[in-house]
Amino acid sequence: MQGVFSQVAVMGSSGMLLCALIVLWRRGVAAYITAFMWQSVVLGALTAAVGYFGNDPQLYVVAVLLFGIKAVAIPRLLRRVSQRFTAGRESAPYVNTATSLVVSGLLVLLAYAAARPLEAVADAPTRAGMPLAMGLLFISLFIIVSRKLAITQVIGFLMLENAIALLAVLATYGVPLIVELGVFLDALMGFIVMQIFLYDIHDTFSTTDVDVLKRLKH
Amino acid sequence: MFDMAGIAVEIGQALLSLALAPALVGFIRWLKARMQNRRGAPIWQPYAELRKLFRKDMVVSRQASWVFHLAPFVIFGSTIVVSLLVPVLVTPLPFNAVADLFAVVYLLLLGTAFLALAGLDTGSAFGGMGSSREMTIAAISEPAIALAILSLALAAGSTNLGEIAARTIARPSSALSPGHVMAFVALFIVMLAETGRLPVDNPATHLELTMIHEAMILEYSGPYLALVEWASWLKLFVFATLAANLFVPWGLATSLAPAALAVAFASTLVKLVVIAAGVAVLETRVAKLRLFRVPELLAVSFVLGLLAVASSFSVR
Amino acid sequence: MKAALLLTGLLAPWAISAALSALLRGSPRLAGRLTAAAGAMSLGAAAAIWIVVLGGDVLVAGPGDLFRADALSALVAGCIAAVSGLAMLPWAGIGKDQADRDRLRVFRIFGSLFTLAMLIAVTINNVALMWVAIEATTIVSAILIPLHRSKASVEASWKYILIGSVGIALAFAGTVLAYFDFVSLLGRRHDALNWTLLMDVAPTLHPDVLRLAFVFLLVGYGTKAGLAPMHTWLPDAHSEAPAPLSAMMSGVLLAVAQYAIIRWKAVVDAAGGPAFTNQVLMALGLLSIGIGALSLVRQQNYKRLLAYSSVEHSGLICLGLTFGPAGVFASLLHLLNHALAKSMSFLLAGRVLARYSSAEVDRVSGLVRTMPATGPLFAAGVLALMGLPPFGLFLSEFLLFRAGFASGHPVATSAAMLLAGVGFVGLAGHLARMLHGPAPDGVAAGEREWWMLAPLAVSLVAMIALGLLLPDTVARLLGRIAEAISI
Repeated sequence: MQGVFSQVAVMGSSGMLLCALIVLWRRGVAAYITAFMWQSVVLGALTAAVGYFGNDPQLYVVAVLLFGIKAVAIPRLLRRVSQRFTAGRESAPYVNTATSLVVSGLLVLLAYAAARPLEAVADAPTRAGMPLAMGLLFISLFIIVSRKLAITQVIGFLMLENAIALLAVLATYGVPLIVELGVFLDALMGFIVMQIFLYDIHDTFSTTDVDVLKRLKH
Repeated sequence: MFDMAGIAVEIGQALLSLALAPALVGFIRWLKARMQNRRGAPIWQPYAELRKLFRKDMVVSRQASWVFHLAPFVIFGSTIVVSLLVPVLVTPLPFNAVADLFAVVYLLLLGTAFLALAGLDTGSAFGGMGSSREMTIAAISEPAIALAILSLALAAGSTNLGEIAARTIARPSSALSPGHVMAFVALFIVMLAETGRLPVDNPATHLELTMIHEAMILEYSGPYLALVEWASWLKLFVFATLAANLFVPWGLATSLAPAALAVAFASTLVKLVVIAAGVAVLETRVAKLRLFRVPELLAVSFVLGLLAVASSFSVR
Repeated sequence: MKAALLLTGLLAPWAISAALSALLRGSPRLAGRLTAAAGAMSLGAAAAIWIVVLGGDVLVAGPGDLFRADALSALVAGCIAAVSGLAMLPWAGIGKDQADRDRLRVFRIFGSLFTLAMLIAVTINNVALMWVAIEATTIVSAILIPLHRSKASVEASWKYILIGSVGIALAFAGTVLAYFDFVSLLGRRHDALNWTLLMDVAPTLHPDVLRLAFVFLLVGYGTKAGLAPMHTWLPDAHSEAPAPLSAMMSGVLLAVAQYAIIRWKAVVDAAGGPAFTNQVLMALGLLSIGIGALSLVRQQNYKRLLAYSSVEHSGLICLGLTFGPAGVFASLLHLLNHALAKSMSFLLAGRVLARYSSAEVDRVSGLVRTMPATGPLFAAGVLALMGLPPFGLFLSEFLLFRAGFASGHPVATSAAMLLAGVGFVGLAGHLARMLHGPAPDGVAAGEREWWMLAPLAVSLVAMIALGLLLPDTVARLLGRIAEAISI
């Protein structure tokens, strides 16, 4: 049973990592939103699985919230935003595709190195997925830094939050429920404000390419 | 290793591979045709093509050098040697001591290199173009396949093909581990690149400017063309067998008993059909990538290999 | 009972102010007076908490000890209440016509919520809920930055919310890692994330894991505190925001982030010794001082000048934390002084901006002539930020550098002194240009609304008092904190 639990944890984490790689590989914003949606679905399923194997029914609530907010509501809002802004392709990111992919591979290796103290301490069956969660964290940071469209940066940030949620689920089978609720509320509010700003940027600058946000320099 | 029975088994395996390779390609073509709502040529059409080509006269360019004449034999020879080492029905093979995964990959690369040279040899523009494209793709896919192999070798503790297959048989649960799956996908992508299938290269194209593999063999005719084509089909067969029998090795016979061999034959056939169907479906659904996008695809393969290596490190 | 009462008196007025400002749409003057009253009440409660804590008690209230105010909380809460009370008074910078009245209403609502979130962050016992409160401050303040919509302010607010949210997310990752370490040793308890429990069990936690967690936490909360190299949002956000918001953000939001860093440093040091955290803090501190000071020299915009000065002082505070108990004392005194000085400077800068309609240093001259009260007060604020006596920042910097030499870090301390000197020169040059010379055309002379300057004059007097004679109450409080959290 523990073997299956461990396998499921690692499969789920790898799946989420691969969804992040889609953002570095593909060019269209629609693909990014789909990748984020699938990543959230896998996260929700994994949370439910941890709830089942770890005998913690609170995690079912968390999983349902994850599905509802991150796999349904947020992608829908993102699609609406991206349809309004016709520039639907990340044409020339700051770091090109092949280099981005190689850098992300190196970031995963870095994550394995950084997570060594964690694996030494952990004894839960899910510990094999923790380096992958940290790898996803680093890759999300890289997405935010290396992409030009504002909406891609938002998706990168949402993936960063997924990475941290994954880390919490794998390391400690989730955080206390009240904290979880607070985090969800904050995440939702943060996303709504970012969305408002996307509209603002588009209205003010007629584009959502953050390369034009260069007026304020030093 | 060099006893008569062993040699007989190996020769038998080489002949079997040679016999089945055209059928594999024929099956892929037939399936693609059916998916495109055509009737398609029958599965044994490639055999007919080979027979036709062997009977025809050759036309050799005046500018061709010894490389042009040597290349088909080198390509064919190296691919046959590879087919001697890859576990098709039996593992471990009698020649298992030299069946090293890196050796296999680089033997295939030897064939590719000579083909590229032959494309350049006659001085035709299309041949040169095909050769340069092919070498670009080979250069970029080489680290990808090296990493995919490395992850397999790390998991098994050796680069010997027989060992890898045996180790995977001994631990069934490892077959579904993410490192394994990622290495499989990486190898599959490299297979598409190395054997000239979509989305890297269209094997059925008539437009010279879109050719990679076909451009290099434009100048060949008659028996030489037969050898080169057969070698490329055999290369696809070898890659598919590697993918099938290294990652899903159940069904391989461990002895030469006829019952075991029959089971192995059936299981290998099923796995090859599945992989061929996968290739056919992919070729029907996906459009050919523009040339400057191919490195991106191979970078994905590289990263998957890197992730597979990292995960196999952590499992130990 | 007393604890619950005092804490309610600290927090509730702001909640009520936000609600009433939202409801009283038609009577802005009443709403303004109510907000001012709320600020006064909150400040009074903060002062009372200060006195109680000085006596040695720790205020605990709420289910499961949810709220807890000890000496450090009292210090930062006092700063927050004072600065917010000042900033939420009706100020120039958000003007008089209808559009501005709507803006003022929005500002009051969200500004009250902002203050409430900051106060909750420093008085709550649970680490993760503190994080939730700090994230809430990011969101609320991001809404307020583009109050006057322009290309620059939209850009600034985008950078702020993106970088701020990323930083905060990393801080949460650090919190999760620390929680993981706790859980692996002691199992999952519902009070696992309380500061008190963490401090108690810290010596048994794994130093390696906590160090990894501290890196994430420092990068995360350091982003909010304006430490380099995560400071890039700060000059833009603080210069484009309306002046009262800049005062609050620069003065006390930085202090709240520093509060989080200080608390976590105490936990990690208790587990594995202060060597690692000192190294990291020293590196980031020196980098911040350097970048802040060097950027000051080239600035053309006086609000960005003040913002980079915040980066520099934030670096000084972090550096002081690595100098042992005396350094911690100096850092906290610096935090208090900086909150007063920076908020005053920003509020006055807002008045200058309203008069001169330009934030460029080149366009502003002859301040002493056109604004005979605001000018000298602004000069006093900037002189305080430069670290001149008799203002409090001189004393705290002096104590900081002395602690640096005493604790055996001569190189770092000398470097910091040198860089602070560079900052001094930068600020002095710009200030001189702004104060003297002929006033540009079209700028009216004379002072309006003198009464608005009265509270700022009070804070000026407070700064001088802190600089000249460091009142015993303050010294004892800081001493108490320094003992409690340093090793």
